Amino acid sequence: MDSEKRKEKLRAMFSKVVGPLGYKFSPDTELVDFLLEQEVNIEKEKGSPFCPCQGLTGEREHDMKLVCPCIPFHREHYDAMKRCWCGLYVHKDIEDPDSLMQISLQEFLESKK
Amino acid sequence: MNVESRWILAIRVDELPDGEKTALLLEGNKVLLLRKEGVFFAISNKCPHMECPLSKGTLEDYVIKCGCHDWKFDIRNGEFLDAIEIKVPVYETKVMDGSVFVNLEGAGI
Amino acid sequence: MKKVVLYTLSTCPWCMRAKKFFREHDIPFEYVDYDKADDKTKRDIKEDCLAHGSEMSFPFVKIGDDVVVGYNPDKYSKLMGL
Repeated sequence: MDSEKRKEKLRAMFSKVVGPLGYKFSPDTELVDFLLEQEVNIEKEKGSPFCPCQGLTGEREHDMKLVCPCIPFHREHYDAMKRCWCGLYVHKDIEDPDSLMQISLQEFLESKK
Repeated sequence: MNVESRWILAIRVDELPDGEKTALLLEGNKVLLLRKEGVFFAISNKCPHMECPLSKGTLEDYVIKCGCHDWKFDIRNGEFLDAIEIKVPVYETKVMDGSVFVNLEGAGI
Repeated sequence: MKKVVLYTLSTCPWCMRAKKFFREHDIPFEYVDYDKADDKTKRDIKEDCLAHGSEMSFPFVKIGDDVVVGYNPDKYSKLMGL
């Protein structure tokens, strides 16, 4: 399958996964295209479309939680940011994705205390 | 709402030992039939994540773990354990005259 | 000037934006792409990230003794005294 086709296939599959979770693809289409392209390349190299903005450790339990869409495994953290870490997905009500900041996990956990 | 049942003959009861699973193609639908504690469960064989065949996964208690990315589903209600909003379609089953039937009502949507 | 070191991923647009920020402000920095690094460097970066509770999220930006995980120009500016 060529890259463009795979990208569209990922888009179609992932859209069905994130919808019920209250997320959608970011309105920043340039960012979405770039990230999906990275995922297609990562999938070719490593076998799965891992998050382009989080590092793999080689431990299956850790790495499988970074396969896109990784929202289910980081739900509270992402809900607090209204976006996922790489920004591919945002909450359904978001129209201006640039207004959303990356909040580190540590900061998020401290804010909960 | 007019809900019509579509009971389809799947396999004979003695074809699937307890604790085992088998992939079936029923009227064009990819179905995974499982037998647990004597009860038959039928779910879609396509993982809702990336459409991997769940038949290649592993069954532990009532949980099937997809072999591709370890997503886990309860075979009784189809719920994804890490986010119950995501579900793998579940079909009714019944045993009649030594055969297992699956109700494909709602399948293929 | 505080020493700036970035741990990044070659596939991450926020890492690219972080590098751009320091370039645009004429702040010299070093960076390592975790995904392109050798095994030993990877282990060191992993240790550093986990010690800061970041769970391997990039960019990981070290400014002097402080760490900012994520693309956050306001924090970078504040720590650099801009």
